[in-house]
Amino acid sequence: MVKTKLLLASMFIGSTVFAQGPAPSSPAAPAPENATNSAVDLSVKQRPTLTPAEMVTQSKEYLQGMAQVVKRIQTLQEEAKRQKDIIRLNCVTDKLVQARVNEQIAEQSMSALQENVAKNDVGGQTHEFTRLTIVNQKVTVVGAEAENCIGEDLSFVGATRVDVEVDQNIPQYDPTQPGSPFIDVTRPPEASPVQ
Amino acid sequence: MKRGLGLCVGLGLLLAGSVAFAQEDVNIGYSGLPYKSSGESNTGIQLNEGTLLHAGVGVEAGYDTNVFYANTDAKGSGIIRVLPYAEITNATRNGPVSRTLVFDVRGGFQYRHYTSNDVEVQKYSDAWNPSGGASLSFGGGQIGFGIADAFARIEDAPYAGQGGIVGASVLERNNNQASAEVRWAPGGGRLTATLRYTNMVDFYGQSYDYANAVTNYLMVDAAWKWLPKTAVFLNAQQGYVYYFNNTANKSNSFPLSVTVGLRGLLTEKTSATVAVGYTNGFYQTGGTTNGFLGNTYANLALTVRLTQLSRFVVGARHDFINSVISNFAYQDAAYVSYIQQIAGRLGVDLSARYAHLDYQGQVVDPVQVGRVDNFVQVGGIVDYFLRNWAYCGVGYSLMANSSNVSIATYVKQQVFARLGVTY
Repeated sequence: MVKTKLLLASMFIGSTVFAQGPAPSSPAAPAPENATNSAVDLSVKQRPTLTPAEMVTQSKEYLQGMAQVVKRIQTLQEEAKRQKDIIRLNCVTDKLVQARVNEQIAEQSMSALQENVAKNDVGGQTHEFTRLTIVNQKVTVVGAEAENCIGEDLSFVGATRVDVEVDQNIPQYDPTQPGSPFIDVTRPPEASPVQ
Repeated sequence: MKRGLGLCVGLGLLLAGSVAFAQEDVNIGYSGLPYKSSGESNTGIQLNEGTLLHAGVGVEAGYDTNVFYANTDAKGSGIIRVLPYAEITNATRNGPVSRTLVFDVRGGFQYRHYTSNDVEVQKYSDAWNPSGGASLSFGGGQIGFGIADAFARIEDAPYAGQGGIVGASVLERNNNQASAEVRWAPGGGRLTATLRYTNMVDFYGQSYDYANAVTNYLMVDAAWKWLPKTAVFLNAQQGYVYYFNNTANKSNSFPLSVTVGLRGLLTEKTSATVAVGYTNGFYQTGGTTNGFLGNTYANLALTVRLTQLSRFVVGARHDFINSVISNFAYQDAAYVSYIQQIAGRLGVDLSARYAHLDYQGQVVDPVQVGRVDNFVQVGGIVDYFLRNWAYCGVGYSLMANSSNVSIATYVKQQVFARLGVTY
């Protein structure tokens, strides 16, 4: 009885195995140089590869870039004021406020980064540098949005124009005015039997 | 295609025995040769950037059945009339150059000749009838000013009296009319007011020299537009008629009229003038207007633009008119006019008028006391426009008077062939 069960099990498994098609060939991906090593690093980097000095330098570049963006947005704001384009001015002013707030955050992070570098706090350095990077990206996006602020030239359809179609039967003169005096040149009636 | 009515309406009335009515050019009776520009675009000589010169000349030849307006033994004659004219206005060939300043100066000189060999007719065969006018209007939307002056002289054969005896002197009338006005339309223009002074000087020839007069009128008109082109109005006019020879024949007077009514469009195609009111001649001597009807003014004029190329006018009026042969005459008149353009080339102008005149007050000729006239006037023109500035056509005029004074009864017909340019 046990043998019978083993036999049936072997046949079932065998038929199941052989019923499958041939195994698909693996994609012809180029083998990495260290493929033989099979130690592919798929983990997320938790720490920057920059040195603390490089982080400070990079952060300073970020700050300079952000300052330029803020300056550019201020220029756009002035343009909108000159053009008295209220729609564009509102948009640009909104972007300027956002950019300045992010710039302040970046300056605070810069100070904190420098402190952490001085204290040799690697975690703190990484945190502040990451924060600076994100803020820099935000400011870059806000700057692009400010450039794309649309003004009246596109959204304003122009002064209201009213086209009036007047029935051509309606007289062009003003019929409500009193008539002009007209000179009387009628022939006087006969005054007497013999003039 | 808009020119049709302009071509017809622009044909003048001066010196042709027709009568003007209403606010636009509604001429009743035969409209003679054009004496001013027809208002067509693309005509005229551009003198400079804002001055346009129009000029024209017309000739008409035909037959007059009753030269002397005789009751019996009417004498007919061939008739020729020539009318050159010139007009200067501030416009271009495409239209006016300014809405705030408009001026117009024009002058014409009609020559009339009877071709008959009849001795009586020969005495009055030639007549020279100059006419002229100038107008200036300026101002903005709220306040505007206007001044105008017009002069006309008519010289015509006299009436034939009892037994067909022709009057000894030519019938002559020299009339000058000057006016000045201020127009005021405060705010959005719903209320408008016009103050106008008119001065008219009438000098007759020897036949009627007792009637030489100067007439002054002061008019105040206030209108409220309850629709853009429809208004109710109040109009008051006070006049002063002064006769230079204020003898027993004529009486000075202070005619007054106060009327209310409606002016303007009733529909897109129909406009009307309806006015009723009080009027009084206030003649100093010889009797004046009196009674309910005698002191009532009523006017109704209805204009229908049937199509863009046609216009129909019908009207009636009851009032009094200052008269040469008496103090005044009560007048009941009705008139009708029809203008039609056909195919952009043919212009038709037909009109007729009936007037019942009851002469009252001090009558110059005692024989004519109680005179009542029933006057009928018919006019017709068919013109073919070779160009928008050149025309040829035919005209017909009928003037007939039926009076209880036999010598004042007559029938006069004229037919014309006409040719001219109005550039």
